[in-house]
Amino acid sequence: MNPVHDEDIDALLRQSFDGPAPDAGFSDRVMQHVRSRRRVSSWPLVACVFAGVLMCWLSLSGSPLWRAAWQGWFAGVWSASTFVTLAAMAALSLLALGWTLAEADDH
Amino acid sequence: MTCVADSAAEARIDQALVARALLGNDRRAFEQLVRRHQGMVRAQLCRLLHGDAAAADDLAQETFLLAWRKLDQFRSEARFSTWLYRIAYACFLQMCRTKSWAARNAQDDDAMEELPMPAPAMDLRMDLTRAMQHLSTGEQTVLLHCVQLGLSHEEAAYVLSMPLGTVKTHATRGKAKLKTWLSAWQNAAGEEHVQ
Repeated sequence: MNPVHDEDIDALLRQSFDGPAPDAGFSDRVMQHVRSRRRVSSWPLVACVFAGVLMCWLSLSGSPLWRAAWQGWFAGVWSASTFVTLAAMAALSLLALGWTLAEADDH
Repeated sequence: MTCVADSAAEARIDQALVARALLGNDRRAFEQLVRRHQGMVRAQLCRLLHGDAAAADDLAQETFLLAWRKLDQFRSEARFSTWLYRIAYACFLQMCRTKSWAARNAQDDDAMEELPMPAPAMDLRMDLTRAMQHLSTGEQTVLLHCVQLGLSHEEAAYVLSMPLGTVKTHATRGKAKLKTWLSAWQNAAGEEHVQ
């Protein structure tokens, strides 16, 4: 009675594997569905970023907190409104970064 | 040594074909890549799908179409074949998330649980196949990639998106279980032979 070794298991597993499947027209079927790739243009992304920034600016420009934050920022004073606004911007940036990294990992 | 050199040469050919496919949007270069790798990708998927060749072909087609669309994301950090296995495995997982296939697969698993363990009188190859089906899904998947498809532990970890330690654990445990079952088979077969 010989003990079964790792090499025996490997050899048996390899023997039980049928190997590559024969083509049998598979590649031709795949190539029928392959279409030429379109060049991805970057202008929609840039345009959307600008539109987003503009919309944010328009919606926040009437806010007293926003105005106070900018006034404090330009005057070099770290008021509560300046701090809150910057903290919110930093938090949103981190969220966007996390989302981008998660999406990149998924792809 | 020759095997390593062959593997490096194959990898260089794949890289050249990828570069041609990307730079000139060359469908013929991609067709060569499909012809070179379809056999192993379909074999991988067929094993993952418990021998369902039609479903494996559908997933393999999806894999190659995805590879064509995402070819610019191939960074040559891994071999092209390993990159394809990773896409194929991701497609397989996506398919498992759909209700119909998962339900059917669960029924198959239940039926498999009811099967007796390898009987000594049966052919060793059939017993090995049956013993494999008694391993956990992780162990089966790791042994398929590491032993049958010939990937290193690191490559298997990349394909399966699994920590390297987990891959090694699954491989060791899977082989240990198979060794135990096949030793029992060998004992029983030996006794039968003596009688």
